[in-house]
Amino acid sequence: MDKNKVERTMPSRISAQQQVDEIRIFQRELQRLERDGILKLGTEQHHAIKHHHDGLISGYVKVFDIDQDIRSKQLSLGMRIASFLGAIALAASVFFLFYQFWGNFSVSVQVSTLILSVLGSFLLTIWIQARDQTGYFSKLAAMVTFTCFVLNVVMLGQIFDITPSDKALLPWAALAMLLAYACDLRLLLSAGILCIIGFVAARVGTWSGMYWINFGERPENFFPVAIAMLLLPHFVRQNRYSKFDATYRVFGLLALYLPMLVLANVGTLSYLDIDRDVVEGTYQVLGFALSALAIWVGTREHWPDTINTGTIFFVIFLYTKLFDWWWDSMPKYLFFMVLGLTAILVLMVLKRMRGTTGKWHEIAAP
Amino acid sequence: MRSSSRVRYLIAGVALILLTNLIVLGGVAYNRSGNPESALKLTQRELGDPYKWGLRNENSGMDLILQWRVLNEGDDITPYAVGVSIGNFGGSPKWLDEAKLADLGFDVLKLENRRKDSIRFNPRLSKEVLLVLEFAGKAHQRILEIARQSVAEEEALALANPGKIEFEQRVNIAQSHLEDEENKSSRLFVIDAGTDLSTLRAKYPDKAHYAIVHGLIKPEVDERGISPRIRGYISQLSVASINVPIDLRKAFTSHQRDKQFDTVVAFGKRLEPWIVSATTRQGDGS
Repeated sequence: MDKNKVERTMPSRISAQQQVDEIRIFQRELQRLERDGILKLGTEQHHAIKHHHDGLISGYVKVFDIDQDIRSKQLSLGMRIASFLGAIALAASVFFLFYQFWGNFSVSVQVSTLILSVLGSFLLTIWIQARDQTGYFSKLAAMVTFTCFVLNVVMLGQIFDITPSDKALLPWAALAMLLAYACDLRLLLSAGILCIIGFVAARVGTWSGMYWINFGERPENFFPVAIAMLLLPHFVRQNRYSKFDATYRVFGLLALYLPMLVLANVGTLSYLDIDRDVVEGTYQVLGFALSALAIWVGTREHWPDTINTGTIFFVIFLYTKLFDWWWDSMPKYLFFMVLGLTAILVLMVLKRMRGTTGKWHEIAAP
Repeated sequence: MRSSSRVRYLIAGVALILLTNLIVLGGVAYNRSGNPESALKLTQRELGDPYKWGLRNENSGMDLILQWRVLNEGDDITPYAVGVSIGNFGGSPKWLDEAKLADLGFDVLKLENRRKDSIRFNPRLSKEVLLVLEFAGKAHQRILEIARQSVAEEEALALANPGKIEFEQRVNIAQSHLEDEENKSSRLFVIDAGTDLSTLRAKYPDKAHYAIVHGLIKPEVDERGISPRIRGYISQLSVASINVPIDLRKAFTSHQRDKQFDTVVAFGKRLEPWIVSATTRQGDGS
């Protein structure tokens, strides 16, 4: 298939990989059906299907360098892990390299080195991205660039004794997002989202009168940015990027549930000037309700990330509540038995929901 | 990705990096422009080495910690309790009471209600304010007075109890404290706080002995006295340490056990410090 046609018709690498996986599943199932005598296609039909699939796959391989089979997939997983660890290690190396030697240079050399290193690594990243279809090498270069930029701002702060400020998170978030969208990298997207969450939470904290670095002392500071992260994929389409929408949703849910979990146990940290027990009870109920809501929405919208995150936090809220109620009053063997039975109950509920979802698909199918 | 998109990303990234550095360096240039807001002549008594631990051991840069103190003079004054906060450990001076906290923008009524519900009181919520650092001023003179008074009292007690080792030791300790206060301890004290720079500068116009800097204050409960009350705790300066550029490092790297130096530390328009000059002093004070 023509490479340009592939680029025009297929929005992203992940969609291409999905289609290739489905083609392989179709081919295996077709073989099974023919072997069992259920279906028999003619020679011409076989050739037509094979020709079509081979053209599609070869086009995708040329454009996206996708995995053609299970073995390739397993190797790709290994490459992804190696790429991630390599990115972290290189970033740490850059940091310590500068940290160890910067003091031996004059101020002008320090400043020049900082600026040139981030500019140089950024240009290198863009150059690599133009040639690297796999994305693994782009990830390495992009992480080094991001590290150089963080170092750039932090070290300028140290050299010139600048008052620490949450505003530094803004350019870091901007560059991380730029690299994420330029290179289709969820790692950099996550870094950018974390910077944005930190900045917005710190700003909300300063508006309430606290020093910005104490924003974690009032967990409610995270709620506005959590809602923003959850709503963003609705307003800004992320189809062309690999699971970017899921990344926004997961971080949004984490920024919502983790503060709720803290407030459900330490009500004194709340902005609400009411009885501590009321605060904790309110956030416990909210935690249960919103995690159940996430499971329901995730099931409806086919978002496994949302279902999993909602389920994890539903179980955490449940277990912390059971701990509060019964840890001291119940024999330990009984307490853990109750936890085990609760897990079985959750499994049964999820199984029932899965069965119900399957029936909806049957009804919806033409 | 199409090449036109790549060019756009390239331009955006370069522009972001350059703009960020421009803003940061522009701020530095502004801080150091014109005459400094204040300039103090500090010595090794007020500028100390930071404690080297963990990653700091890998750091080839050099910075010095501003060693400031707070006069903790209260009803139960003892020479050892007064002004003991050396380095950046903080302190609760008497003048940082509820009225002062209210002036600084703390909701004292809310704090008082929370204090009564002791479980709910969260003392960790700091606020950044302006702090006045006094160098070799009345606060330091007061400390010296207290230390000398303490020596005199201990000597009188020793005379009244001749031959008792405990009283002789107390005299030695008091004399040691006095010697520290005269020759070693920091002469830099936080003596006031506010939110308006011009108001504070009008109150403390001597720029060679009073520096105004950003710092953090948090409320805490004072359990001493007849009834608990809210007071403020000065926890840290926003810029606690000062970088030493390589061309000035010679004055601070000495083979002497007790290195001595004189520096001029300026505070700029954004109240951020930098070392203007530094010279080594011989051990005999010359």
